[in-house]
Amino acid sequence: MILVIAEQRDGKLNPATWETVAAVQQLAAGQPVAIAVAGAAGRELQKVAAELAAAAVQEVIAIESPALERYTPDGYVAGLQAAISELAPSVVALPHTYQTRDFAPKLAARMDRAIVTDVTGIKKAGGADAFARPMFQGKLTADVVPQGPVPHFVTFQIGAFRADQASRGASPAPVRAMAVEVDAAAVRQQPEAPFQEAKQAVDLSQAARIVSVGRGIKEQSNIAMARQLAEALGAELAASRPICDAGWLPMERQVGSSGQTVAPKLYVALGISGAIQHLVGMKGSSVIVAINKDPDAPIFEVADFGIVGDLFEIVPAIVAELQK
Amino acid sequence: MERETLEVDVLIVGGGPAGLSAALRLGQLQKAAGGEPLAVAVLEKAREAGAHMLSGAVLDPSTLGDLVPDFEAKGAPLAAAVREDRIYFLTPHGKIKFPFTPPPLANHGNYVISVNKFVKWLSGLVEDEGIDLFTGFPGADLLMDGETVVGVRTGDRGVGKRGEHRATFDPGVEIRAKVTILADGVRGNLTKQLIRRLQLGHRDHPQLFAIGIKELWDVPADRLTAGTVIHTMGYPLRSDEFGGGFIYAMPEGQVACGFVAGLDYRDPMFDPHVAFNHFKRHPLVKDILNGGQMVRYGAKALPEGGWYTIPRCYADGALIVGDAAGFMNSLRLKGIHLAMRSGMHAADTAFDAVRAGDTTAARLRQFETRINEGPIRRELYPVRNVHQAFGSGLLAGLAYSGLALVTGGWWFKPMRSAPGHDRMEKLFEYYGRRGRRIPEGATNAMRPDRQLTFDKLTNVHYSGTRHDEDQPVHLLVQTDVCHTICTEEYGNPCQRFCPANVYEIIADAAGKKLQINASNCVHCKTCDIMDPYQVITWVTPEGGGGPQYDGM
Repeated sequence: MILVIAEQRDGKLNPATWETVAAVQQLAAGQPVAIAVAGAAGRELQKVAAELAAAAVQEVIAIESPALERYTPDGYVAGLQAAISELAPSVVALPHTYQTRDFAPKLAARMDRAIVTDVTGIKKAGGADAFARPMFQGKLTADVVPQGPVPHFVTFQIGAFRADQASRGASPAPVRAMAVEVDAAAVRQQPEAPFQEAKQAVDLSQAARIVSVGRGIKEQSNIAMARQLAEALGAELAASRPICDAGWLPMERQVGSSGQTVAPKLYVALGISGAIQHLVGMKGSSVIVAINKDPDAPIFEVADFGIVGDLFEIVPAIVAELQK
Repeated sequence: MERETLEVDVLIVGGGPAGLSAALRLGQLQKAAGGEPLAVAVLEKAREAGAHMLSGAVLDPSTLGDLVPDFEAKGAPLAAAVREDRIYFLTPHGKIKFPFTPPPLANHGNYVISVNKFVKWLSGLVEDEGIDLFTGFPGADLLMDGETVVGVRTGDRGVGKRGEHRATFDPGVEIRAKVTILADGVRGNLTKQLIRRLQLGHRDHPQLFAIGIKELWDVPADRLTAGTVIHTMGYPLRSDEFGGGFIYAMPEGQVACGFVAGLDYRDPMFDPHVAFNHFKRHPLVKDILNGGQMVRYGAKALPEGGWYTIPRCYADGALIVGDAAGFMNSLRLKGIHLAMRSGMHAADTAFDAVRAGDTTAARLRQFETRINEGPIRRELYPVRNVHQAFGSGLLAGLAYSGLALVTGGWWFKPMRSAPGHDRMEKLFEYYGRRGRRIPEGATNAMRPDRQLTFDKLTNVHYSGTRHDEDQPVHLLVQTDVCHTICTEEYGNPCQRFCPANVYEIIADAAGKKLQINASNCVHCKTCDIMDPYQVITWVTPEGGGGPQYDGM
């Protein structure tokens, strides 16, 4: 059985979970798939479990303990270890989110099992399944076959699999609760209220559409034009490194090898040449539109739609069309 | 601020061939002599041994055979025995093959290696001896007591961009040692400090350097037989520019392809990376690389000055070995075996000194005696003027080198040279006086095709270099010079001699200013060497940061 560990916070399911479900369904090949979600028993957890039950899986398990109400690495490791020991899956799959990165290595080490992280693909190679994962900022891909006793832990890179490819079941899967013993006294962390560093913190990895600006925007004042396009498209604003280095947009809006990796449905690159350091941060996007006046710009090699032209003419024209 | 202290007998700064040979030799001496065990530690700024190691390379195995007689049984990673030497003089579209290989460049008995893999292997032997190799620990500053070197302070961790202490702040450790062996590589930051502090250099014979740019390629396995060693001179360099290209073939279609350019060129608009791209476009090279895949890129400076430019290598409590001192044979283009030999001599000297309880310069001078009486002087003395001769042009250099082969390097008197950065002429001198137009960009700039030739930014991605973004910039620059006189006099050459796109002159509302993309740095030290005003100082970034030169 393959077990997916879903991620939820305060009753809100992280959509990356669906990507993991899609990945696992590709891997399963006949094996039953179950989804587990951890939290404190109550309405919020039930709501998430019911949401997950829409997937084409064998069952959804709500792992319950009062100590799991707020996320703590110690609590989650204890709770999930107990659940995994009872359920005995062959593979435990998680989305490669910040939260997963916080507890999954410890969980795997505690259980003394192999863990393969940031997986971008699954290769079925006569018997053993190999998990493809990037090395050296995406310049190499390693095919890793986990060894040793099961369960093997696998985390899937955000955006590597498509959430909309997770199969839904004909009818909701059965949901059951599994109470686990977590010694609250043994949890060393005290979670505090989440805070936002910047006044308007943005999580680009959750944006469905992104409009991104590069050096071609020439001056800081021209970003207003890009912002107009973003608003017209209902998109978030992002940028390549030089823009953030110059302080024209905050660092959290930087896409690239030293910034965020994103995979939105639509990525519009304005005046971005497409240096490889930027491409590794956005090439997983579903649709890439590039506007650049240099016909040889590398961005056109990854773009689905490209316009060679002056973005100062083209962008206002697009905005005007959208506003009609 | 309270700093932890650690006491050792011998501290080696730098985990390259010189430093690791010294460590290994100390372990061997220890075992042979018995008695009170020596506490030895090696500091290496890279995240793992070998990560910052880059070289062509063709290894002369003589030192290896002395240090590790059973190196074959121990699995030394010698990629291929050299089978064939070819030397070409290149013209823009053609090539002239040398009918024979001059004896110093004959590589029979030598091996094509990856120095990264070689150092990784050496580090395994060092750890087997029970010697601590501290990776991710840069030697940031010397600890001095008057004129005596008493140790090294490692770099602080967790310092933010503005110098503030982040949550992860961890102060550097003061490692106190009876003898500190500086093996911090070409233009090593600690060696540079010590040479300045104690005036160890020679006024008429300053250290001279070249930059080596290298790519590792995967080509179809039948292109070049493993063990083929190709060297070129001529195109794309002009007669007053020193350097040349190299192509070394390893098994399974792995090819090391690179270019060396002396850091004493006159044209301020010259860009070594552009020269490298022109080299690759030459039919000789293109035919080898076509259809292949560039796998890795990197650059590093080389110490070219030779015998007379080697500083005094001993001081109270310290020795200087390897590329940091400049033990490289610029005629044979080999330095690894000499670095290793110098490491062994340093180990012998340090072991003796610590056991005798006397680590003063008078005692450590034994190192100089060993250099003078051993294989290093035997090899380097006959070629002592070679690089300097090339300072008078390609023809003069070749003529002298030929003469040197017969006469053992004789010349009327030791050939002098100006420091490389001083030879760079100002724009008006190089162009104005000759009535030439100053090029828009670099000399002979070309548009990379992204199959065979690449721009610096793409190339640097393939060096695997990574630095934590939130740390102070490790390139200290007096930018008032950049923004005023340098633009006018030299056209800001830092944008051209840096192979990693670290320096950019950006025009903003206030005018032009220097932007330093420190996280691109590949630790080659070219900027520290070549900047005409000498206002750039390379210091160690946070430990662990830097390139990942697998297979280089």
